[in-house]
Amino acid sequence: MITLASMGSVAPLTPAMPANIQVTLALAIILFAIGLVGFLTRRNMILMFLSTELMFQAAALAFVAFGRMWMDLSGQLMVIFILTVAAAEAALALGLVVLLYRRKETLSSEAWAELKE
Amino acid sequence: MSTVAIIALASAFVTHATAHTPTASMEPALLTTLALALGDGAIAAADGHAVDAAHAVHSTSGYADVGPLHFVKAVANTDFAWLKWMLLAPLVSVILCGAMAMFKVKGRLPALFTVATFGLSTAMAIALYFQFGPTLFATHAPLTVPFMDWLSLTWGPGPFQSFTANLGFYIDGISMLWMLFVTVLATLIALYASEYMESDLKAGYARFFFAVSLFVTSMLILVMSDNLVGLYLGWEGVGLCSYMLIGYYATQPGATAAAKKAFIMNRIGDLGLALAIFLIWTNYGTVQYDSLFQAIAGSTSEAVQGGWSKAAIPFLLLLAVCGKSAQGPLFTWLPDAMWGPTPVSALIHAATMVTAGIYLLARMAPFYTVQAIGPEWAETALLTVGWIGCFTAFIGATIACGQFDYKRVFAYSTISSLGYMVMGLGVGTAFGGVYYVFTHAWFKALLFLTAGAVMHGMAGQVDFRKLGGLLRVPGFRLTMICMLLGCLWLATAPFSAAAESKDIILLTALTSHVQQVQWMGWIGVLTAGITAYYAFRVWFRLALGPVKIEPGADQHADHGHDDHAGHADHAHGGADAHAGHGAAHGGGAFHPHAPGFRISLVLTLLAIGSVLAGLPSYLAHSQGFNWIQRFVQNSSAWMRAGNSEEHGQILGRDAHSTLFIIATTVVVAGFLLAWILHAKNRALGDRLRASMLNTTGLKWIPLGSEHGWYVDQFYNAIIGVPAWLGAQLLAFTDRFVIDGVIVAAIGRFPGFVARVFQPLYTGTVQSYALTMAGGIGLIVAWVVWVWLSGGAS
Amino acid sequence: MTLAVLLIVLPLIGAVLCLGVSERAAKTVGLIASLVVLAAATLLAFEFPAWTTGTFWPNEEGWKLFTAFGVEFRLGTDAVGMLLIILTAVLIPCSMLVSFSAITQRQRGFYAQFLFMESAVMLAFLARDVILFYIGYEFTLVPLFLIVAIWGGQDRRPAAIKLWVYSFVGSVISLVGFIYLAAGHATDTGTPINFSVQTLVEYGQTLPASTQWWVFLAIMGGFAVKVPFVPVHSWLPLAHGEAPTAGSVVLAGVVIKIGQYGALRFAFPMAPEGALALAPFFAALALIGILGMSLVCWVQNDVKRLVAYSSIAHMGLALLAMFAFNVVGMEGGILYMVNHGLSTAGMFMCIGIMYERYHTKDMEVVGGLMQRMPVWSVFMVFFAMASLALPGLNGFVSEFLCLMGIYTADAGMKTGFPGILGPTYAFLAALALILGALYVLRMLQKFVFGPLREPSHGHGGHDSHSAHGHGNHAAHAIQDVNFREILAMAPLAIACIVIGVWPKPILNVIEPCAASAVAPYVKLIERDLANPPRATADESATKTTAAPAADKGAIQ
Repeated sequence: MITLASMGSVAPLTPAMPANIQVTLALAIILFAIGLVGFLTRRNMILMFLSTELMFQAAALAFVAFGRMWMDLSGQLMVIFILTVAAAEAALALGLVVLLYRRKETLSSEAWAELKE
Repeated sequence: MSTVAIIALASAFVTHATAHTPTASMEPALLTTLALALGDGAIAAADGHAVDAAHAVHSTSGYADVGPLHFVKAVANTDFAWLKWMLLAPLVSVILCGAMAMFKVKGRLPALFTVATFGLSTAMAIALYFQFGPTLFATHAPLTVPFMDWLSLTWGPGPFQSFTANLGFYIDGISMLWMLFVTVLATLIALYASEYMESDLKAGYARFFFAVSLFVTSMLILVMSDNLVGLYLGWEGVGLCSYMLIGYYATQPGATAAAKKAFIMNRIGDLGLALAIFLIWTNYGTVQYDSLFQAIAGSTSEAVQGGWSKAAIPFLLLLAVCGKSAQGPLFTWLPDAMWGPTPVSALIHAATMVTAGIYLLARMAPFYTVQAIGPEWAETALLTVGWIGCFTAFIGATIACGQFDYKRVFAYSTISSLGYMVMGLGVGTAFGGVYYVFTHAWFKALLFLTAGAVMHGMAGQVDFRKLGGLLRVPGFRLTMICMLLGCLWLATAPFSAAAESKDIILLTALTSHVQQVQWMGWIGVLTAGITAYYAFRVWFRLALGPVKIEPGADQHADHGHDDHAGHADHAHGGADAHAGHGAAHGGGAFHPHAPGFRISLVLTLLAIGSVLAGLPSYLAHSQGFNWIQRFVQNSSAWMRAGNSEEHGQILGRDAHSTLFIIATTVVVAGFLLAWILHAKNRALGDRLRASMLNTTGLKWIPLGSEHGWYVDQFYNAIIGVPAWLGAQLLAFTDRFVIDGVIVAAIGRFPGFVARVFQPLYTGTVQSYALTMAGGIGLIVAWVVWVWLSGGAS
Repeated sequence: MTLAVLLIVLPLIGAVLCLGVSERAAKTVGLIASLVVLAAATLLAFEFPAWTTGTFWPNEEGWKLFTAFGVEFRLGTDAVGMLLIILTAVLIPCSMLVSFSAITQRQRGFYAQFLFMESAVMLAFLARDVILFYIGYEFTLVPLFLIVAIWGGQDRRPAAIKLWVYSFVGSVISLVGFIYLAAGHATDTGTPINFSVQTLVEYGQTLPASTQWWVFLAIMGGFAVKVPFVPVHSWLPLAHGEAPTAGSVVLAGVVIKIGQYGALRFAFPMAPEGALALAPFFAALALIGILGMSLVCWVQNDVKRLVAYSSIAHMGLALLAMFAFNVVGMEGGILYMVNHGLSTAGMFMCIGIMYERYHTKDMEVVGGLMQRMPVWSVFMVFFAMASLALPGLNGFVSEFLCLMGIYTADAGMKTGFPGILGPTYAFLAALALILGALYVLRMLQKFVFGPLREPSHGHGGHDSHSAHGHGNHAAHAIQDVNFREILAMAPLAIACIVIGVWPKPILNVIEPCAASAVAPYVKLIERDLANPPRATADESATKTTAAPAADKGAIQ
C-alpha cells in the first residue's frame, strides 16, 4: 500500500477527518442515486450510458474522499483507474450503441431483449 | 483294401489269443509272467523303482494311497534345442497360410505347406523318440529344454518371491506319446482335408489350414510345455482354433452359435485351470512341472497342510478337464462342435484336442495322491473323477442311441469314450486311460473321416435314415469297410485295440477294493454293450439294406460355402448332382461323389493304424512290456498308476478271463440287438420306436435320448435365461435408473433452481439493473439491520 | 530433457499450423505433426535412462524450468510414464489415420483438437508438479468435449456435456485433495506453498490415518470418475457411443488411462493409510464394475456402447489389482493400462471403420460382415481375442498377473506381500474370464459371423453428418479396409502380439516401478495384520476426529 506516511510527509495512520467528508459522501450518494434512477428509468441507450458514467463518478468521488480521510494515495489511484476504464468503456460502449442503432434504427434498449430465456 | 483290415483282424485275434492263454490256466508262475508282461514289473524289477512299495501299501490302504512317491529329477539338455522347430514348423505354416488368406491366394498351396510342416514335425517327433526314448526308459529322467522367456517375475530372494513360467519343453513319456500321435494324425488328417476342403478353394481354404496349423502349434505347446502356464497357453490356443474351425462355415447361424458355445463352455473349464494354477503356485511356489513334482514327492500325507487351498486343486483341474474333454456338466458343446468341417471333427473333436483333458489329468496325477492333498480328499477327488467319467460315458452312450445324424452319433460316442478315459484315471489306471486315448485317437479319427467321406459324397446328407446300402454303391466300399472297422473298434469288439485298452480300465475298476469303483466298472460294462448297439445301429443302417440315397441339401448348402456345393468343378459328375439341391430329391439325377485318392489313402492308413494301435498289447507277451505302458511309466502319471496291474478277482473268478467273457457277451448282445433292429428287420426297429413314442410311460426314452436328455434346454432355463434377464435388468438399471433418474435428477437440480428465478430475466437491461440494485438494497438493509441490532459488536 | 519440452510444445505448434493451413491440407499437416511427436517420443525413449531402475528422471523432484504464480514447471517421468507417453504418441497418428475419410467437415479444427489433446496428455504424463498435472489433466477435456460435441453422433450434445460435467467435477474433487495437502504442507513447515509431487508425497505419508483417509477419498474419488468406477461411470458409454472414432480411440486408449495413472502416481503414494483403509470399498466397487458391467455388455446391441462398458469392467480389474498392493498385482495393473489401450483402441478403430461404411453401430441391423470385409474381420476378431485375454496376446499377460496379484494379496501368502484382498476377490474377478467370453463372442457372432445383414434403407438419415456420406453408400458396394486403415491398425496389432509373446522387456521395465509403488504398503499391512481387528474406515474416521490436533502436534 502506498501511503503518504511511507513517503514521509505526514504522521502515519492519523486519519484526518475533515468536517466536510459527510458532505462529500452525501454528494457521492446523490450522484450515484441520480445515475441509478436515470439508468433504471430511461430507455435511451445514450442516456443510460450517461447514467452509468454518473455512477462511476460517484464512486470516484467516494474514493477520493476516503483517500483523503486515511491520507492514502490508493484512493487517488483508483480514481485514475476509474477514469481510464470509463474512457475505454465510453469508446466501446458508444461504438456499440452506434452499431445497435444501425441494426434497428432505434436507441431504445427495449429493442434488445435477446438474452431473455 | 478290405483284405488288409481282415488280415489285421485275424492277426490280432491270434496274437491276443496267445497272449491270454496262460491266464486261463491259473498257474501262479504264469500269472506272474502276465503281470510282468502287461505291467510295471519288468521295469520296476529292473531298476529298483519305488513302485514295488506302492503295491505293498496299496492292498491295505485306500486306493488313493500309492505309497511313497518318487520322481526322477528332470535333466536339462540343450542338445535337444532343435525341438523348438517342432513348434516353429507349424507356426511357419500358420504365418504363410494366414498371409495367403489375407491376400486371397486361391490354390492348394496352404494345404501343401500345412502337410509339409506337419510332416516335418512328425519326423522330429519320431526322431525325438529314437534319440531320447532309450535314455528316458533307462534313466526315467524327463528332459527339459529351455526355449524362450515368457512370463517371469522376481520380486524377492525367497522361495515364494518369484514366478517363472517361461516357454520350455518338458519331455517325458506321456508328452512324447501325445507328440507322436498328434503329429502323425494331424499330418494324415491335413492330407485328407486337402481333398475334402477343395470345394472351398475359392473361399476359406487358406483360412482352414491357417486354423489347423495354429491348432497343431497350440496342441504341441500344450503337451510340450514345462509348466502349467505354458500348458494354459496351449490349452486356450486349441480352444481358439476349435472356435474358429467350428465356426468355419461362418455364414451358418448354427455354426457360429456352436462355436460360441464351445468357447464359453471351454472358458468355464479354463477358469478352473487358471484358479488351479494360482492355488498350485500359492501352495508350492512354482508352476514348473519338475520342481512341482519334486515338491509333492518330498511331502508326506501327514505333512499335508493348506486345507482347502490344496484340496481344491484336483477339483479345479477336473473342472478344466470337464471343459476341454466334454465331461460331466460341460459335455454339451461337443455335439454342436460337429458344425465344423469333418476333418476338424476328426482331428480336434475326436483324436487330439479333447484328449488334452486326459493329458492334464495324467500330467497332474500327483495332485490326486495323499501326499498332495491328504487321504480323505485324495480318495474323494479320485472318486469324483471316476464318477464324472463313468456318468459321462453312460450318458453319452445313451444319447448316441437316439441320434439319427451319424456324425452326431460319433460325437456322442467321443463323449462316451472320453468318459471312459477319465474314468480310467479316476479308478487308478493312468495306463488304461492313456492307452485308450491312443487307440481311440486312431479309430475315432477313422470313423469321422469315413463319415466325412460319406457326407462329402452324399451332398452333406447326415441323416442315416436317408441313406442305405452304401456297401454296394461303387466307390464307397472302402469307406464302408473302414467304417465297419471303426465301429468294431468303437464297440470294443474282442481282441480289437480298443478292447485291449478299455479292458484295462474295466479290469482295474472291477477288481478294485473300493465298492464304488466296482460299481463304476459295472456301469462301464453296461456302457460297452450300449456302445456296441449304437455303433452298429449306424453301420447297419448305412451299409446294409437296399441302396437308398437322398442327397442332403440341408447342411451348408445355401451359401456356396459348404463342403460340397462347389463340386461342380470336379471331374466327377458332380455338376448335375448339385444343380438343384432342393429339387434333386428323389430324382435320379444325383450321383454320389466317391472319395478320391487322398481320402482313400488316409482312410487306409488310419485303418491300419487303428489295427496296429493294439500292437502294444499283442506284443506285450513277447517283448516283456507294453509299449504304451512304458510311456506312462516314465511320466508323472505313473505314481497314480502303481496299482493298475495287480488284479484280484471278479465275481470270485479270475479277473482276466471273467472280464473277457462278460465284456464279450455284452458287446455281442449289443451287436445282435443292433443287427436285429437295424439290419435284419428294420421294420421291427421302426415299429419299436413308434410304439415307444406312443406309450406315455416310455415316451421319454426315445425323445430324451434324441434330444440329449434336454440338458441344453435345462441349462438354458436355469442359467441362460435368468442370467440374460438379470443382465437386461442391470443394463436397464444402468441406463435408466442410474443414468436416467439419479444422474438426471442431480443434473436437473440447478436448472430447477434457476427456473424459480427465471422471471427476473426478461432480457431488458433495465430489469437486470433493477435486480442488481435490489440486491444491493437488500445487502445494505441487512448491514443496517445488523448494525442497528448491535450484532456486529 | 529438451525432448520432454518438445513433446508438449510440438503438438501445440502442430495444432496452430493445422488451424492455419487450408481445409484440405489439414489432415496431412496433422498427421505429420503427430508423427514428429512420435519421433520425438521415440528419441526420448532412447534418451530415457531410467527404464529399469524404477526411479524418476531426471530426479524425483523433476526438472524445474520456471515458476509462475507459485506453480513450478517441473518435468520428469519414470518408466510407466514413458510407456504411456509412447502409447499416446502411437495412438494419436493412428487415430488420425482412421479419421481421414470419416471426418469431412471442419477438418482443421478436428486435427488441431487432437494435437491440443496430445499436448495436454503429454503434460499430464510428464508433470512433476501437481498443478501442472492438473492443468494437463483438465486440458484434455477441452478438446475431447469439442470433438464429441462437434464431430459426434446424434446425441452428441448431451454426451459432451455429461463428459464435461463428470470429468470436471471429478478433477475438481481431486484438486481439493491436492490443495489440502499443499496447504497443510505450507502451514506445517512454514514454507511457501509448494505443489511439487515429491514434496506432497513425502508430506502426505506423515499425516495421521484419519486425515489420509479423507485425502485419499478426495484424490481417488476424483480419479475414479475418470477411470471410471461404477456409480460414476455413466458418462463413458454415452461419450463413447457418440464420439467419432478417433475420439473414442483416444478416450479409451489414453484419456481414461490418466485416471489410473493419477491413482498410481498421486493417490496411492500420497495417502497410503487412506488407500489401505478404503481398499475394501474401492475393491467392492471394482468388483461390481467387473461383474455387473460385463453382464451389461452381454445385452448391448450398440457395439460401441458394448466396448465402452467392457472398458469399465477391464479398468475395474486393473484397479482392483492395484489395490492388491503387491508387486504382481501392481505390475499387472500397470501393464493392463497399456494393453487395454492397445486392444480397446483397436476395437474402436474396427468399429469406426465399419461405422463409416454403414452408419450404424447396431448389431441387430448389421452383421455377418466377414463376407463383406474379410480383412476387417481378421482385425476385429484379433482385437476381440486380445481383449478377452487369450494367451499369447497381450491381454493375457496383464490379466493373469492381475488375477494372481489379487489372489496372493492375502494374509496367509508367503510372497512377502501380505494383502487384504485374497482368493475370494480373485474368484469373483476371475468370473470375468467367462463373462468376457460371453459378450465378446456374442458380439463376434452377430457382427462378424453369421449370415450377412446390411441396412437396406438409406443409412443414418438422422445423422447430421449424413449429408456428406449419403450418396456413396448406395452407389458403391461396401469396400473392405484399405491400406490406410490397415496402416492405422497394424501397429496396435503388432504391439498386441509382441507384448503377448515376449512380455519380458516390458515386465522388466514395469517391475521396479511397481515395486516402488507398493513399497509404502508392506509395513502398513504387516502392522495391520499384527493388530487385528482392524478398525473399519468409518470407525477410524470417527474415532480419530478428536485426535487429529494431537497427531498433528506430534508430527510438528
